[in-house]
Amino acid sequence: MNAKSMVTILAVTYGFLGILPLFLGDSSIYMRILTMILIWSVVASCWDLIMGYAGIFSFGQVAFYVIGAYSSAILSVSLNVTPIVSIFMAGTITAIIGVIIGLPCLKLAGPYIALVTFAFQLALEPFLKGPLGKAIGSGGSRGIISVPPIHIFGMDFSSSELVPYFYLTLVLTLICSAVIVVILKSHWGTAFLALKDSEDFAASLGVSAFKYKLLVFAVTSFITGLFGALYVHYVGILSTRMLSMEVFTVLLIMIVVGGIGQYPGVVLGAVVTVTMNELLRPMGIYRLLIMGGMVVVIVLLLPDGVTGLIRKFSVFRMTKKRTEQLKHRNETHESSP
Amino acid sequence: MFIEIIEVIISGLLNGSVYALMAIGLALVYGVTKAFNFAYGSFYTMGGYFAWTLLVSLGIKGGYYTVFLTAIPFLFVVGYFLEKILISPLRKRSDWQMKAMMLTLGLSLFLDIGYISVFGPRLKSLPDIVEGTLTIGPFVFMNQDVVIFILSITGLLFFAWVLNNTRVGMAVQAVAQNPIGAQIVGIPKDRVFAATFAISTIMVGIGGILLSQKNFVNPQASTGIMIKAWVITAFGGMGSIKGSLYAALIIGMLEAFVGYYLGMIHIEIAVLTLLLITLAFRPQGLMGRE
Repeated sequence: MNAKSMVTILAVTYGFLGILPLFLGDSSIYMRILTMILIWSVVASCWDLIMGYAGIFSFGQVAFYVIGAYSSAILSVSLNVTPIVSIFMAGTITAIIGVIIGLPCLKLAGPYIALVTFAFQLALEPFLKGPLGKAIGSGGSRGIISVPPIHIFGMDFSSSELVPYFYLTLVLTLICSAVIVVILKSHWGTAFLALKDSEDFAASLGVSAFKYKLLVFAVTSFITGLFGALYVHYVGILSTRMLSMEVFTVLLIMIVVGGIGQYPGVVLGAVVTVTMNELLRPMGIYRLLIMGGMVVVIVLLLPDGVTGLIRKFSVFRMTKKRTEQLKHRNETHESSP
Repeated sequence: MFIEIIEVIISGLLNGSVYALMAIGLALVYGVTKAFNFAYGSFYTMGGYFAWTLLVSLGIKGGYYTVFLTAIPFLFVVGYFLEKILISPLRKRSDWQMKAMMLTLGLSLFLDIGYISVFGPRLKSLPDIVEGTLTIGPFVFMNQDVVIFILSITGLLFFAWVLNNTRVGMAVQAVAQNPIGAQIVGIPKDRVFAATFAISTIMVGIGGILLSQKNFVNPQASTGIMIKAWVITAFGGMGSIKGSLYAALIIGMLEAFVGYYLGMIHIEIAVLTLLLITLAFRPQGLMGRE
């Protein structure tokens, strides 16, 4: 997809989401959903960047999100750091941890990376609940209860001020999406494309797979940690429940619905998935059953997600238009002599 | 002190033998089909629920003999058709490995939640396979543990025999070495893929029956088992069967010692640390080939 249509799709989607609070600003339920759409769309975009473009099978995205959330919460509760500073510190901490995880991982073959990063997520829960986690202030299995809201320019951004918080998130979302588009369209993106097509050939031309992959790992874990931190100052409470399979699967569905490696697609995927997740909430346990079944069905029937569907449709329309043009030209040719 | 250490070693061996049964199934399926099966742990739970349905819910005659005799064909059919319907259509695409991972993750959630909605969220207990204890010198063994150990070792030996001495086993090995070459000499590759998947389902399902009658049938156990089997396979070297066997015993030991001396909560962290250190020095695992 070229940069122009990428930016257009992003601008239309986020612009539409940005207008909605004018009509829905009074309803706290809708505002919550809108905010969560923004947060998840960025986290899922980062995952798409790692998995779909850089080709790293990283399954540690939820873990980085939770690390960001915990870092910021611990910094602001235990060390009294102002939330707006602690958010960026949390992003940096997550990026450092991401690089530490990435260093051994990136030397491994694909499925090993998936395994190590997923095992990392599973080991995070006992770590945070255990004595080691308590020592750094994770609050054990009780979690952290009173995380202070973000406070800038004499304004509070928290769950009681939904509309300002939404716009704060929107600003950060736009900045991060711009960063992602720039990465994809810079020589990084080209390098990824080259590495994906033929790693050996790209390496022979001097493209260092390791360097680019480590950089993308650092950037995406920074953004993911940042949004994890943003989330925790919004809800105000934090526990290890964020590490459950449910959160992981919901994130996975966003990518599956949007299409892997089809960048703005994943943003549409986030919009669809978060909305559907909320609509299905009254169904109780069957919601997860439907979500799990949906992953299976979509992967089988729509391998490129919604983006693939749209593309197929537009290609179909284009070929139809083209055949009509050709037909028309032939007719004029025949009639002219 | 000395007796304690011996007891910990024995419990490590016991864990290790069942882990070996499950991890080797996974090593086989990865080595042959290159599909990364994230729903592996759900088949473990499926084994447990199958036994529970037969023994407790339906109360059939013959106890565990009937369970094992019916479980093997049941798990084979489940595995075979899941591969045919879900995994093999994906193979046409170049990025099918990633798609297979995502699909099996979805499948695992679907199955786990499916168990909860059919059987309820509570743990189910199975009757003991045998009762009583066995005393040798200063050591006291549960008969149950002895049977688990013997059955999983028998299972492993039987599996090794099938792989090395039957036509099916040789076909599986041929496909693992060179899928295209195997196809040229007339081995039905797709059917071998499905059969391998089915065999691995049987191995983990039997492991599930064996361990569930000792612990409980728990719908939330799947993820832990899946990750354990994967860690063992990666530690031993993806696709290397011998490596998985050693890795299973080492991880079983490590768990027993860490659980005994440091507490159960540290097990997962210790296992992951061991895996990370091993992979940092040997990216292909203990016995894996480059």
